[in-house]
Amino acid sequence: MPNIKLQSSDNEVFAVDIEIAKCSVTIKTMLEDLGVDDEEEEVVPLPNVNSAILKKVIQWATYHKDDPPLPEDDENKEKRTDDISSWDADFLKVDQGTLFELILAANYLDIKGLLDVTCKTVANMIKGKTPDEIRKTFNIKNDFTAAEEDQVRKENEWCEEK
Amino acid sequence: MTYSGRNKFEIGRFSGEDDNHINKKLPKELLLKILSYLDVVSLCRCAQVSKLWNILALDGSNWQRIDLFEFQRDVEGPVIENISQRCGGFLRQLSLRGCESIADGSMKTLAQSCPNIEDLNLNKCKKITDQTCQALGRRCSKLQRINLDSCPSITDISLKALADGCSLLTHVNVSWCQSITENGVEALARECPKLRSFICRGCKNVNDKAVSCLATYCPNLEVLNVQGCDSLSDDSISRLGPAMRRLCVSGCTRLTDASLSALAARCPELVTLELALCSQLTDAGFQALAKSCRLLERMDLEECVLITDSTLVHLAMGCPRLEKLTLSHCELITDYGIKQLSMSPCAAEHLTVLGLDNCPLVTDDALEHLTSCHNLQLIELYDCQLVTRNAIRKLRNHLPNIKVHAYFAPVTPPVAGGAARPRYCRCCNII
Repeated sequence: MPNIKLQSSDNEVFAVDIEIAKCSVTIKTMLEDLGVDDEEEEVVPLPNVNSAILKKVIQWATYHKDDPPLPEDDENKEKRTDDISSWDADFLKVDQGTLFELILAANYLDIKGLLDVTCKTVANMIKGKTPDEIRKTFNIKNDFTAAEEDQVRKENEWCEEK
Repeated sequence: MTYSGRNKFEIGRFSGEDDNHINKKLPKELLLKILSYLDVVSLCRCAQVSKLWNILALDGSNWQRIDLFEFQRDVEGPVIENISQRCGGFLRQLSLRGCESIADGSMKTLAQSCPNIEDLNLNKCKKITDQTCQALGRRCSKLQRINLDSCPSITDISLKALADGCSLLTHVNVSWCQSITENGVEALARECPKLRSFICRGCKNVNDKAVSCLATYCPNLEVLNVQGCDSLSDDSISRLGPAMRRLCVSGCTRLTDASLSALAARCPELVTLELALCSQLTDAGFQALAKSCRLLERMDLEECVLITDSTLVHLAMGCPRLEKLTLSHCELITDYGIKQLSMSPCAAEHLTVLGLDNCPLVTDDALEHLTSCHNLQLIELYDCQLVTRNAIRKLRNHLPNIKVHAYFAPVTPPVAGGAARPRYCRCCNII
């Protein structure tokens, strides 16, 4: 398998199987637009992804290289978050900073499978929590005044168990 | 020195945290993508976290599609009214399946506040009446799919109101709304030419006139389920058009081979055909069907008691895509028919479910033939008295993943009859 070289924002170069790199639509399009010959040793700069994150992304893409292509987002389909594979769940046991970096990288590189599973992981960190627990989880400051807080609580209490 | 050092530490700590803060790190569109995976309850809680999160949680994109089936308690009027208010014009899809407390009052509010709704599921909302559909007909002209399955108060008035106001309807389900008659169906068929799916299981008053209207005015009709509409005759079934792909006429006991011949001539795209209890059908009808409906994948022939091995020979030759076949209570079927089926092109490639329960002539030999059906996942063998445990064991050796439904009576059979058997084969009860 021919490799291509991916260069992270901090100038580290990774040699990656070209088919694995192409799970990123961004890289795939770049290669097509450039008309890169498989024989050439091309270096693709990725100024938005640092080496630590790029390493994780390549690890994820390598594990998932034989996955069938994802179906187009079906608007009518129920959105599930309980379908994360155990490998992905283990892979995403990282600190919040890394998780958000992975979301940004997946978005920039246009890797739908990785973007979906990272966003689902964050959604699962929100599900089942009270507003205060959500604030604590993400260290979010409550910037409502007491009166505002009272009002938003009233506006949303219909969804709570009576 | 000490002071500045401490200060530096504090700034460092805070800026470090800030850099990784979800609000700073992720742009709005990615935060919205995360929220798009949340249910109604979680969204309402996010709305109380902070000002930014309030804006994000209440973003219209989160309130387009709502399913309250999993809501933690019985959904009552105020919840629907709050949803109506919050979603407004954004709401396109709402499922209230099983919300039995919902009544017309809240549905009227919904119809007023959410004029852009396209897909509404009211399955088992038993309290709603024609007033709900009248409100929908007046306000919600974009409605494409409505499910009124098991809403017993719904009558023709509902279908007329929907016909008048919702001409874009493509999918209508009024199963078990037993007051529905040909008048309501005719109104719907005339005004909703885009109709693709009409399901009215158990609507005994849906008759030949009703089905003829659907056939005449709805050229795109692909799915028709008239299970248990037992007054239907060959007259109306013979009018169904070439778009038809999935048809269930189970329990329409008056149908004869004339229906099968007409389907063969007019509906070559049929994929699913359910004919349980159509006990007048014979081999001649299935011969015609198998010759032209070559795309058939799923067939339920339970209690088509007159058919013989000849039907299986024709299906084996004519329908290479056959995936699920139920022959329960087809008492004339023998090992020869199963052998023909197992040698057909469909057997090796596609056949996954085969119902042979209550086929008393089927023996161990049939199971031996079936070892060549590599994709077979489920076989029903209840009350096949001539099939032995040993043969089932052998079949399992060849097909290790197969599920076998069988029951062997204890050596001394109990005096009373055996265990109750489900009326329809679950796996083949498709539409």
